[in-house]
Amino acid sequence: MTSPVLRLTVNGRPTALDSVPVAERLLDTVRWRLGLKGTKEGCRTGGCGACTLLVDGRPTLSCLTLTHEVEGSGITTVEGVSEDPVGARVQAAFEAVGAVQCGYCTPGFVMTLTGLLKERGSAEAFEELLNDLAGNLCRCTGYASIVRAVAAVREKSP
Amino acid sequence: MRSARAVAAFDLLTPATAEEALSALRSAAPGALAVLAGGTDLLFDLDDGRLASRTVLSLRRLPWRTLAWDGAALTIGSTLPLRTLENDPGVRTRLPGLYAAVRAVGSVALRHRATLGGNLGRSAPASDLIPILLALDAEVELVGPEGARTVLVDRFVQGSRKTALRPDELIRAVRIPEARPSAYLLQRVRPFHDISHMAVAVAYSPRRESWRVALAGFPPRPILVPEAGELLRGPRPSSAEVVRAAETAAQLAPIVADKRASEEYRRALVKPLLERAVRACASSGGAT
Ligand SMILES: Cc1cc2nc3c(=O)[nH]c(=O)nc-3n(C[C@H](O)[C@H](O)[C@H](O)COP(=O)(O)OP(=O)(O)OC[C@H]3O[C@@H](n4cnc5c(N)ncnc54)[C@H](O)[C@@H]3O)c2cc1C
Ligand code: FES
Ligand code: FES
Repeated sequence: MTSPVLRLTVNGRPTALDSVPVAERLLDTVRWRLGLKGTKEGCRTGGCGACTLLVDGRPTLSCLTLTHEVEGSGITTVEGVSEDPVGARVQAAFEAVGAVQCGYCTPGFVMTLTGLLKERGSAEAFEELLNDLAGNLCRCTGYASIVRAVAAVREKSP
Repeated sequence: MRSARAVAAFDLLTPATAEEALSALRSAAPGALAVLAGGTDLLFDLDDGRLASRTVLSLRRLPWRTLAWDGAALTIGSTLPLRTLENDPGVRTRLPGLYAAVRAVGSVALRHRATLGGNLGRSAPASDLIPILLALDAEVELVGPEGARTVLVDRFVQGSRKTALRPDELIRAVRIPEARPSAYLLQRVRPFHDISHMAVAVAYSPRRESWRVALAGFPPRPILVPEAGELLRGPRPSSAEVVRAAETAAQLAPIVADKRASEEYRRALVKPLLERAVRACASSGGAT
């Protein structure tokens, strides 16, 4: 129920993992095996978006993804997102408008928005972009400032 | 490994070809193997003990993540992530009802893994994809030991977790015979990332010159309401026809209550949703 070596590229670094059980979720691999605690566990059932990270650039719920299913992929977590120019802009916007209260939902929002902007560019309509963030919940309910951060990123987009 | 929920342990098979996948299915004892596409339904069934399978057959290496237009027909590979389907410009312009239905499924991050094959495999009463597939007369392509067979979605879907899939078969693709003016509208507490209380899918077939009306959100499964479709004539039905069709659907459909909504509330939703959906569809008229 484990496999010998599993290869991933994590935040740009080739990573080989030993004996990862096949039932292990990417969320647990990232947090407990790799020690990258920026990715958060909220509901663990796909409902909150706190665990969102990028798999080959695409926003993915790490709580619903088997690590073995993404073998060979590039994983970007919030710890590595600033190495990407779009990710760095998103992070700066959240900081600049103060879209962070307790911060638990923030990595998920930052990763989802980064993935969306990389996928669709600034062509995506503002309303559509907000709808596309509906899977990320903020339990502090700081949505107004999150919406301002989204607007700020769009304004600064090339 | 620390985790808030119990995680069921299992083995994973990752065949690279359909033949290997089918032979693994054939040689497994009944119920021993669970088929995994995006896993957004299956992992819950495993963790919650609804499935006793201790081996999981992953479809990720199969060459089924495809999308192919052939004239007005569209064939969607069963393991294509829903987000990729949504990003196809043809789907957005030529099948607006399908586009709206795909966007109604969960969140973007969910749709990057969830698949159409998985949605049909789960066959949930509140599926957002089955009703529009019914309105589009879509067919499911199945492969098994004796080769391929094709089944209308209306025959394939039988109830919650009940389908016409045989234990030794896999869903390979879904075929939509023609692009159609179409619409999908729903009622939820939140418009995105929530479960539909009531949903309406409509499509007009230019080839058959007829309408299809489907309803979903209540058990046991999404359904076609032919009596409503027959009352609509031509690509732009009259207001009187639209109202009669909506009233007929609200009256005749076998709508029931469940923990999410009462029968009365659901019936009351049919009329406005159906009227709006037909009008949206008629005004998108020449979109194919
Ligand atoms: C947070 C959350 C929100 C959701 N929101 C919605 C929503 O709004 N609307 C909606 O309709 N659904 C929703 N779902 C349900 C689910 O995401 C969809 O049903 C999805 O399409 C399932 O696809 P999958 O690839 O993840 O399926 P999987 O979980 O991999 O498989 C589902 C079932 O189908 C079988 N299967 C999969 N592929 C095949 C195949 N090719 N051949 C044979 N059998 C197969 C599996 O064995 C399993 O029984 C939601 C789920 C979650 C967790
Ligand atoms: S922890 Fe993954 S969606 Fe909530
Ligand atoms: S800032 Fe606390 S959950 Fe969003």
